[in-house]
Amino acid sequence: MLEFLGTLGANIISLPGILGLALGMMTRRLWLGALMGGLVGVFETLIFAHGNFAGIGAVDLMISVVVGLCAGTVGSAIRIKGATV
Amino acid sequence: MADSPEKRGWIGRIWNAIWTPTVVFSTGFLVLAGFLAGILFWGGFHWTLELTNTEEFCTSCHTMETNLGEYRETIHYNNHSGVRAICSDCHVPHEWNHKIKAKIMAVKDIYHELAGTISTPEKYEEHRLSMASAVWKKMKASDSRECRNCHNFDYMDFTIQETRAASEHQRAIDENMTCIDCHQGIAHSLPPGYLEEYQSVTEKLAGKDTESSHQQVASDSEEIRSFLTTRAD
Repeated sequence: MLEFLGTLGANIISLPGILGLALGMMTRRLWLGALMGGLVGVFETLIFAHGNFAGIGAVDLMISVVVGLCAGTVGSAIRIKGATV
Repeated sequence: MADSPEKRGWIGRIWNAIWTPTVVFSTGFLVLAGFLAGILFWGGFHWTLELTNTEEFCTSCHTMETNLGEYRETIHYNNHSGVRAICSDCHVPHEWNHKIKAKIMAVKDIYHELAGTISTPEKYEEHRLSMASAVWKKMKASDSRECRNCHNFDYMDFTIQETRAASEHQRAIDENMTCIDCHQGIAHSLPPGYLEEYQSVTEKLAGKDTESSHQQVASDSEEIRSFLTTRAD
């Protein structure tokens, strides 16, 4: 549980959470925001595994992608709600 | 039907203010203000995080006195060169994602401090093996990532190491071993039954590959620690 919460929190204030949110805010399309966030999740996990696919943990990757998807979607929702362009 | 602004509560009014386009600030002002606020918040957050990495912070809890005393007897605290490794150097990863994960997981330490889980020497000894085991598991799984922030096989000059150390380090490279396989008690005293526990940790991490994990457990950690401590004097 603690491991899960730690990984979740780390991803929220790391690339998937922050960059995912920022990328999401660049589009009004929710699916595109989520997609970009999810890709950041994959990208970040790969970076922290030093580019080694074998070093990627399935749970870590899953949490990272889910956080990215959510952040990207929230980013797009912020764009829809908070911008007229 | 939406409430009129007068009927809204303070949460509603704040929510409305957040999403209402501003008419008093230019875009440039908002971008610059947001940028500066971002720097201040991020810098402050990072600075606070670094403060929690200091030896003073780590040892400010009563329950840390035992392991602080043990650490002070080791080569990582006192040595001929004066280069030291403090608590965070071994227990907190440098990379952002891993560091934040470690910091969040460390919240449990506050709970156990308050709950008095290891508040007496007896309780401490009772939990020593499980605490050590948790750290070994992390280190084995990360290929001793925190050790490798300072130590690197690539830059070790085996010709100026003790013969035994040089041959063991060469063996570690050849057999793809990691630092913690031999150096379990490098900074803290080893509990009874540590070898069996470490073997169990390696087996769990290796899954079914129990034979190779048996080969990757050194049985002389106490001896290595004693040797390094003597050398430090």
